Amino acid sequence: MNQLRAIAVNTFKETIRDRVLAVIVLFALLMIVGGLWLGSISLGEEGRMMTDFGLVAVTFFGLVVAVFVAAGLVHKEVEKRTVYILFSKPVSRPAFIVGKFFGLAATMAIVIGAMGLFLFALVWILSKHPSGMILMAVLMIYAQLLVVMAVTILFSTLGSAILASVLGICVFVAGQLSHNVLALTRLGKNPVTEVLSWVIYVVIPNFSAVDVKAGAVGEQTIAWGQIGLWLLYLAAYTVVVLGLAAVVFRRKEF
Amino acid sequence: MTASAALSVRDLRKTVHVGFRRRAVEILKGVDLAVAPGEVFGLLGPNGAGKTTTIKVALGLMRPTSGTVDLAVGGLSRVGYLPENPYFYDYLSGTEFLTFCARLFGLTAEARSERVAALLEDVDLTAAAGTHLRKYSKGMLQRIGIAQALINDPELVLLDEPMTGLDPIGRVEVKRIIERLHERGKTVLFNSHILGDVHDLCTHIAIMQSGRVIWRGTLPEALAEAPTLEDFFIKVVSA
Repeated sequence: MNQLRAIAVNTFKETIRDRVLAVIVLFALLMIVGGLWLGSISLGEEGRMMTDFGLVAVTFFGLVVAVFVAAGLVHKEVEKRTVYILFSKPVSRPAFIVGKFFGLAATMAIVIGAMGLFLFALVWILSKHPSGMILMAVLMIYAQLLVVMAVTILFSTLGSAILASVLGICVFVAGQLSHNVLALTRLGKNPVTEVLSWVIYVVIPNFSAVDVKAGAVGEQTIAWGQIGLWLLYLAAYTVVVLGLAAVVFRRKEF
Repeated sequence: MTASAALSVRDLRKTVHVGFRRRAVEILKGVDLAVAPGEVFGLLGPNGAGKTTTIKVALGLMRPTSGTVDLAVGGLSRVGYLPENPYFYDYLSGTEFLTFCARLFGLTAEARSERVAALLEDVDLTAAAGTHLRKYSKGMLQRIGIAQALINDPELVLLDEPMTGLDPIGRVEVKRIIERLHERGKTVLFNSHILGDVHDLCTHIAIMQSGRVIWRGTLPEALAEAPTLEDFFIKVVSA
């Protein structure tokens, strides 16, 4: 537990002190402000446009940070040979993987939190009333990105950092479209396609089960029970993926 | 091979597979080695002899293909290691880095701060304790590297090329640290190409070539066969 915490704290320091992160967050905030212009040209829908655009910005920049930082986390340690320092001490490899994940999760909480609070404040100022659903939607985005981070860390233990980044983005996109994959299975024309679609549907994380963004802009009513189950599903998915990453990493030699 | 050795390696073999066709390359071909407690042991050999691989297998960074490694000091928690040309977390200060290493051993907050302060003083880096490691010179990095290797007050210290790339002052400083470790009764094993340092520091030496130990003995035994350690080394590796 001590090791896990030490590695998590160190990863947090490593990622939060990275100047590139500050630049990305700055860009994200500028883009959210840019939503004001979009709102001004959409008659009567300023608040909704601002919220929609802002949540897209939070998702996009959050994804960029999650994927590119997660892909480099393990890789950099191996490439720069700091793993020699770590694993010549009684540090377990699962603790290393999980510690890295928690460290980046803490950084992501600050990054996503800062962007989300900025958007929340901006919409509040614009529409004159606070919308808690924005914060809820940001929390859901954070939960999705945690899964993407875990998946990217798994890929980074298997291949290069660039490949892990690309695959991480692919998993995020595929996860958003998972309801379409399920629709494919219902076509039922070809048993091979049907089985394949089912396998893909089960393997990729299901990000499309809950659409909190639609709730945030007032398009849908939120079913809280469903959100709770979905969060549990994402947590379980993350645990399994990190477990796999730990198994793969245990076999590595340096 | 003595039962009381701090580190003993028996018939250690390591084969790696390289390239697209996974060609097998045997790096270690049956290494036998024993380092007794309190010795300063020099592991010598030309490049590619298998010195670093032997240390890596001993530490569990690589798995042996066959053979055994016994860390009789009580496992990794009683071992310190400085890798060759080490890279440390350059976004951390000297104090932060050593504190991080101390946390990995589960030291309490009080023990951590005491140990970190003592080590920084030992390696003469107290003045640079708050400076980020990216601003450290090569010699300072080597010394903070030695400090991290000693954070757990280890019984066995493994140093891989600790003098490489250091200026004369840096070398003297590292030599003094090794001498102090010897005086405290610690077991030190180090790889080096700088035979003058080996001569000054080591009580025992082993020479490796092509994945095997081809000679081992005490420093006086080596010097009995040739006028200098350099002459002896050349004689052994070219035999």
